[in-house]
Amino acid sequence: MAYEDLKAYSKYGSEPFFPHHVLRQVIQFTVLFALLILLSYLAPAPLSPNADPFESPANVKPDWFFLAAHQFLKLSEKMSFLGPWAPKVFGVLAQGVGALAIWFLPFWDRNPERHPSRRPTAIRIGIAMVFFFLVMTLWGHFS
Amino acid sequence: MTEERKKDGDGGERREFERRTVFTEMLNLFSLVGILYGALDERLSFKEGMRKQFEKPVWFYRTRLESNFLACLGGITFALYLFQVATGILLLMYYRPTTAEAYRSVVEITTQVPYGWLIRGIHRWGANLMVVTVLLHMMRVFFTAAYRPPRDVTWVNGMLLLVLTFGFGFSGYLLPWSQASYWATTVGTDSMSAIPIVGDTLKYFVRGGNTVGQLALTRSFAFHVVILPGLMLLFLVLHFLMIRRQGIAEPL
Repeated sequence: MAYEDLKAYSKYGSEPFFPHHVLRQVIQFTVLFALLILLSYLAPAPLSPNADPFESPANVKPDWFFLAAHQFLKLSEKMSFLGPWAPKVFGVLAQGVGALAIWFLPFWDRNPERHPSRRPTAIRIGIAMVFFFLVMTLWGHFS
Repeated sequence: MTEERKKDGDGGERREFERRTVFTEMLNLFSLVGILYGALDERLSFKEGMRKQFEKPVWFYRTRLESNFLACLGGITFALYLFQVATGILLLMYYRPTTAEAYRSVVEITTQVPYGWLIRGIHRWGANLMVVTVLLHMMRVFFTAAYRPPRDVTWVNGMLLLVLTFGFGFSGYLLPWSQASYWATTVGTDSMSAIPIVGDTLKYFVRGGNTVGQLALTRSFAFHVVILPGLMLLFLVLHFLMIRRQGIAEPL
């Protein structure tokens, strides 16, 4: 952004990157680091026993951020009554297409409006997806 | 420096802005020492480039909706990534990536190495929080529609950073070689084979064989410690350059 654009951006405030912004960031980073130290003191990193390829534990689960995808794959296996193709199509392709749709969102979402109240469909879909992710994660966690 | 500033000082705003910075003065102080900026600056006009970058203003909103915690999520994610790099390097000093020794070295880090438990704890908490903040950051950008052109490429780049973050999580989870990590990776790589056409090849590539073994650990280690950090650095720099170039999205 050129300095000449200053007038056009009266809605913004501005501050020099150095030292103002850097100082603000350093304060944030320090507080964050203190929080991390506190968390790892209160809840140390867990460590289960040494890996044993011949003894699988009762309830094997991936790390929490893969739980939703994992649970979705497990659920899609219930679709196998439609034929052997069904679990893969529902489980993998649905998620793959969904991920690609989000990935390239700016190229097909052509609504010029930006305020949430003027793009209700997108907001509803977004909330539904967040809700879906949370429900699947919790379901995967407690199943 | 002063004459030069007078020459291209157009308009009151810029001079007003420059009065607010102390960076030029600090650079001049360093130049007096002469080591960093003497001969090097004559050839590469290092000082001018640094001055441009460091004095370039950072915009922030004056409206209530964005000028709060929500606008900090990306920065917090970056901070967490920096902590991950720092603690990861420290863990690397003691970790041994073999099936026989990996678990023992992690136990050693936790129980014997001074502050090892803290470094490992920060690495673990930072990893989980980083996934949380990167997802929240993505949600903020989606709900305020900040991904619209001209920032569409920044969004696509950001999604790549999300995938890399998941890759870090997946490869790092195996490294302690504990029951949880071994079986989580077995299940995780198993579900890779559900991907049509390339699934089985991908699974074989990640495991380095038919079961999770030494090669899987070696490859996870290589990805976690060398390949992913390199890619992450590249795309982080691109992400930040685009943000610096285009500024933040218009207020709603």
